[in-house]
Amino acid sequence: MDERAILDHQFVVAAYTITWVLQLGYLAWLGWKWRSEKRDAERRSRETR
Amino acid sequence: MKKALLTFFPLITILLMIWGYYQAIYVAPNDAMQGEVSRIFYYHVPHAMLCFAFFAVSLVGSIGYLSYRRARPALAQASDALALAGAEVGVVYCTIVLLTGPLWGRRAWGIWWTWDARLTTTLVLWLIYVSYLLLRRFAAGPQMQTLAAVLGIFGALDVPIVYMSNRWWRTQHPAPVFGGGPDSGIKDPAMLAAFGWNVLAWFCWGLLVLFLRYHVERRHQQYAELQAEEALLSAD
Repeated sequence: MDERAILDHQFVVAAYTITWVLQLGYLAWLGWKWRSEKRDAERRSRETR
Repeated sequence: MKKALLTFFPLITILLMIWGYYQAIYVAPNDAMQGEVSRIFYYHVPHAMLCFAFFAVSLVGSIGYLSYRRARPALAQASDALALAGAEVGVVYCTIVLLTGPLWGRRAWGIWWTWDARLTTTLVLWLIYVSYLLLRRFAAGPQMQTLAAVLGIFGALDVPIVYMSNRWWRTQHPAPVFGGGPDSGIKDPAMLAAFGWNVLAWFCWGLLVLFLRYHVERRHQQYAELQAEEALLSAD
């Protein structure tokens, strides 16, 4: 593999990694937010009982 | 039915993501001129196309909120949640476009960034929707949703400008892949298939996160509404 091909490969890996990290990070943040909203709702229903 | 859809749709989406990745990395051939770096295209272009679609969802939600906010408040709240979900998912997709594009540009052009019409209008689009999200995060009071809806509609006006920018002006950005004249389009069937599968996979992924974000916001709205009612009752 020449130097140009190695660099091309590294750039492709970087682009795919950035995409997956951002998308999975956003999904994880949504999951965390979903859970905290659910916890708040449960706490509120306990308090009103 | 709803439960089956909630189980199978994420499963189908994950399978599509794996298949799209396999097609892009192992099946599609290298571009004759650009070599391996052209594979960035299979993630960059679908994200660019789909960020427009999610900003369009935000536009529909914003128009819905402004139309129904007096006559049908419940529908207006649902529209507002849709507008927020569309804008947020659109910003994630647009961020990926703005990060993967320079990676390709560095290898293809030798530079990370240039202030050409396509790149600049895309950056402006991203800044408008980031400001939309900041407004929603930090502004308070009854006018916040109305201001956000107006900003959402204003931001969507940039979408056709971004889309047409490399048709209206001579740009360093490559010519449109589709609908850019008689020479546009992907000629190699394996490349076209890899591109199509990735558009479908990222579309399904986007729908999934849009659905999740919408429901998180609806739950937040209901919780805030109950809190406001309790505050009113305790004040009495």
